[in-house]
Amino acid sequence: MNPPVEPPKPDLQGRKVLIVDDDRLNLRILSRILKPEGLIVEQVYSGEDALAQYATFMPDLVLLDVIMPGINGFETCRTLKARYGDNMAPVIFITAKAESDDVVEGLAAGGVDYLPKPFRGREAMARLKVHLQNRILNEEQKKLVAQLSAANSSKNKLLGMVAHDLRNPLATVRGLAEFLRDDGKDGKLTTDQIDLVENIYSVSQSMLEMVNELLDLSVIESGELKIHPKPVSLTEVLERSVTLNNINAAKKGSHINLKSVDLPAQLNVDGPKIKQVIDNLITNAIKFSPPNSSVSVEASQTAADCTVAVLDNGPGIPEDEMHKLFKDFSQTSVAPTAGEKSTGLGLAICRKIIEAHGGTIRANNRPGGGCTFMFSIPQPA
Amino acid sequence: MNFTGKVLLTDDEAHIRKFIGLVLKRLGSPVIIEAANGQEAVSLYEKHKPDLVLLDVNMPIMDGVQALTQIMQKDPQALVIMLTSLTNRQIVEQCATLGALDYLRKDLPRDEMIALLTKIIADCFGPEDSSSKEEAAAP
Repeated sequence: MNPPVEPPKPDLQGRKVLIVDDDRLNLRILSRILKPEGLIVEQVYSGEDALAQYATFMPDLVLLDVIMPGINGFETCRTLKARYGDNMAPVIFITAKAESDDVVEGLAAGGVDYLPKPFRGREAMARLKVHLQNRILNEEQKKLVAQLSAANSSKNKLLGMVAHDLRNPLATVRGLAEFLRDDGKDGKLTTDQIDLVENIYSVSQSMLEMVNELLDLSVIESGELKIHPKPVSLTEVLERSVTLNNINAAKKGSHINLKSVDLPAQLNVDGPKIKQVIDNLITNAIKFSPPNSSVSVEASQTAADCTVAVLDNGPGIPEDEMHKLFKDFSQTSVAPTAGEKSTGLGLAICRKIIEAHGGTIRANNRPGGGCTFMFSIPQPA
Repeated sequence: MNFTGKVLLTDDEAHIRKFIGLVLKRLGSPVIIEAANGQEAVSLYEKHKPDLVLLDVNMPIMDGVQALTQIMQKDPQALVIMLTSLTNRQIVEQCATLGALDYLRKDLPRDEMIALLTKIIADCFGPEDSSSKEEAAAP
């Protein structure tokens, strides 16, 4: 039989062990077992001393006798647990007999193991090593998690700064291209030049959209997504969004129809953010439907919630990719039908906005073809 | 619209001044005075007494909030529109409290920007003859 493959063992050199026992012979025996392994050993003779010494020595492991004058081992352990919580070094009880009542009470007090007397050097060391190694791995993991979340938050900060600083110059490029385009309409440019200007305009426009999505994401990721709900007519938001998006849809020969709207007169939501979600769902529907398609927008209500659905004529989403839809930077294998760009962030942002409203967002393929994206927002009780 | 008033256009980025300058020219034939920071804006305001001030928020030397405070102190009637790159509600509200008339997002599509400025100017100076205060007073 092959031994199982084990992860590399951390070095125990220089790790600190606090031994607490009123029996000096026990202390000497244990020290003699531990010191050759390169461990730093500190000895105290009572629970009270242990509590004081722990605070300055900050051991990686505590060997704790149970029966001592003054506070006993269990009490000492409970006090340490109360003081240091999950950061407490592992405590191993020294027990005269492996009596199960003692063992159980020791584990309940926060100990991780027990060491029966008389000590057998190799067995004692083996047990100690396991707990020390766990302790070290645990600490390293905590450090890693802290490092990773610090790295993640500086990534978000950077993302925000970059997106923010790119936005104004891009808006200027787009705006200046529009002025140049006007010159083209006035006959001041050649056909080739007009084509170049159109390219500059559309590229800066789509870059601006991407930058805005990145900025949204960094705001959301840094926990700064704040919803400012006000009474809003969702019907008006839908009408405005459909009208505006129809201008772009027309370029692809497509049309957006707003049908069957049954909504309360006012809903307490963050209007601009909900509009952003609706815009995103409609833009996607146009992007992923073939040219000359018809996209439907429907809205309905129940006593519990209001639902907005956008029905496209695209190829649908492969079922095994459905789970990717609302995640950051995830794109499915389905591509836009006219070479449109996508960051894979839009739906993730939509999900976060809707969830911040206490709602849900989902998608499903229709048996007849096409895909339906819908979100629901709870009605006030 | 034929807006012929004096506009003090303040932003530390030359490309923004260029772009918004072109936007303003769509509203008529305004006289545009450019400033690159709050300090310049305050001293040019005193010198030219413009009809309208467009004031960026984040600028070196003196930011827009400070410049707004000083301009409003000197002339409580000043018409100031803040230029912002983010809808930072706190700053926008702070500027409104300090006396700013409105705010304009610099990343707005050009036509939206033209429409917004047209509306603001029509509200302040009347829809048709939107000449400057001094010129309007002249016979």
